[in-house]
Parts: sequence; C-alpha cells; structure tokens
Amino acid sequence: MKKILIVEDDTFLKNLESSKFTREGFEVMPATTSEDVARLIAQTVPDVVLLDLVLPGVDGFGILEMLKKNESTKHVPIIVFSNLSDEKDVIRAKDAGATEFIVKANYTLDEIAQKIKTIVG
Amino acid sequence: MSEQELLAEVEQLKTANQNKADLISISAHELRTSLSAVKWLLKMLVDEDFGKLSDEQRSLLERASLSNDRMIALVNDVLTLNHTDDSTINYKIELIDMVQLVDEVVFDFTSEGFKKGVEIVFIKPSERLSVSGDKLRLRVVMQNLLENAIKYSERGSRISIFLTPAGENVQLTVKDSGIGIPPDEQQNIFNKFFRASNAVKKESVGSGLGLYTTKRIIEVHKGTITFETEQGKGTSFMVTLPRAASASAPAQEGV
Repeated sequence: MKKILIVEDDTFLKNLESSKFTREGFEVMPATTSEDVARLIAQTVPDVVLLDLVLPGVDGFGILEMLKKNESTKHVPIIVFSNLSDEKDVIRAKDAGATEFIVKANYTLDEIAQKIKTIVG
Repeated sequence: MSEQELLAEVEQLKTANQNKADLISISAHELRTSLSAVKWLLKMLVDEDFGKLSDEQRSLLERASLSNDRMIALVNDVLTLNHTDDSTINYKIELIDMVQLVDEVVFDFTSEGFKKGVEIVFIKPSERLSVSGDKLRLRVVMQNLLENAIKYSERGSRISIFLTPAGENVQLTVKDSGIGIPPDEQQNIFNKFFRASNAVKKESVGSGLGLYTTKRIIEVHKGTITFETEQGKGTSFMVTLPRAASASAPAQEGV
C-alpha cells in the first residue's frame, strides 16, 4: 500500500482528502505543521507528499526545503497542492524541487488520486 | 505640478494599485479554499462515497456542483485579469518562438479536446515566427481562444489553428465550426463580463472575462484581435502581433 503524507491545516479539507485517498487505496499520513511532518518522516518515509503552502508556523516552502534536505525524503515526489497560483509561487515551488503544482479548486479529489497514481506508479 | 510631485504621485498610485492586486490575490485564495471544499464534497456525494442517492438527490447535487464550478471559473478569471491589470509595468519581455508556444498550449488541451470529441489541428508555418512579448500572458491568449473554441464546438468537429507571417506581423488564427456569435451581440464580445446568449445556453460555466482579458493582453503587445463568425457555422479569431527578428536579435525593443 502506497503511503501518502498529507500536509494541510484546514481540518475539513484534510478530512475529505484522508477519506478519499484511503478509499483509493492509499495509506494516509496526515500532518498540519512542520513539527508533525518531522515526527512522521522520522518513523516512516512516505511514497509521495501532498503539500499545502499556507500553513501556521513554517509554511509549505519551508517544509519543501526541509524534505529536500533530508537524506531519507529527498527523492520522494512532492506535489504542491495549494490555492495560491501566482507565477512567483509556482516558480519558487518548482525551483525548490516540487514535482507538480496543483491548484486545489481546479480538480476533484478522484482526479488528484489518478494524478498521484501516475506519479507513484 | 513639479516633476518631484509628479513622481511622488506616480509612486503613490503604484502602491495603491499593488495593494488592490494583493487584496484580490488574498481574497481569491480564501474563496478558492471554500470552493474547493464544496467541489470535493459534492463530487464525493455524487460518487456515492457516503451512501446511495435517489435520482432527484443526484440531479440536485449535480446542479449545485455546476454552480460551484461557475464560481471557481469566475475566481480564476478574476485572478488572471488581476495579473494582467496589475502588471503591465511588470511584463517580462522576451523573444518568443510562437510555433513552440502554440504547440505547448495545443498539447495541454489535447485531452480536453478528446474528452469533448473535438479534433485540434495545428498547421505549422515553414519558417520560424517570433514575437517579442510576455510568454505567460501570450499563453493566456492562446489558452483562452482554444478553450472557447473547444467549449463552443460540437462533438465530432474540428478546430484548426494557423500561424502565418503577415507582412510585419505574425498572424494567429483559431477557427472552429461551433455555435458562432449572434449578429446583434457581436459588438459586445470583448466587453467585461459579457457572454453571448447562445454561449450561456450551451455552456453555463464561464465568467465573460476571457475575451476581455485576451484583448487587453494583445493590445499591450501592440497587436490586434478580430473575428469572423456565422451563427451555427463557426467562428475564427485572428490575432496579429508585431513580428520580431528571430534568434540573433534578442528582444531589446520592448513591446
């Protein structure tokens, strides 16, 4: 079973994501903050990360950097999943090593699940 | 007014404009968060992730979903317009290979075309055609024209895209055999928020900002956009942009 680390601070969105991705056959690792992420990846390396950008404390860019610096997670594909879509945010995320930048409002969760499946195989 | 006062005023206006653009960006982010939640939830309900639905329940949820998608399209268009409006000062001018740009956009829309049963054909020129402009904005132009052509075409029809040299200009033509534009509404199609009556009937999702934004971007690039249309037969949009000397001369002259 592929493990997906979901970093999302909106509880309702996170619950919907967890419910859908579990249904789609993923093992979901839910996180809200960079501390959660650090704790979770110390135990288990995920197969893919779905990363929100606007977060309390360290933001998504900070977490992206942290994951890319960490030996055990630097090869894990990271999908930035945000409702920001300014050109500068997209470029910044891609430069920092994000595999994809997806605008939440433009996709349903089953479409996202399909995208993730093509990325993690 | 002294030159100094004038410069101070310009600075003030720039700041005010930036504040407006920032406010729109922040509001759009917040709006999109709620709209995403509703979009995802409605789709999961329709997919019966949370239990069986009656036909009536399904049909009502699908209507809610459509209305939500319409709002998302509006927010997206407002954001694009915001980027167009706020940043004519921030246009990033470079030499653009138009064949490559059109190719990329056509590629992006292949699956959308396939889904709608519409064939997209790009007839490439034999020579390299470059313009000097902002790549992201010109992509928006191409995206808007192609998106409209797909949206208002019938299943089984074809969209042809031509890129040709035209004197000092490059001409881009996007030709569909879709619903066309009613004669008495043609003068309004580049107006903000305007949507033709037959367009609304065929496709309820749309904000009426696409062609307005398109025209604005083209005008900033010192280009023109015109159209030929016949109701029920189709529409061709023709865009001309000043041609830039290719390769050896990088865009120094601006737009």
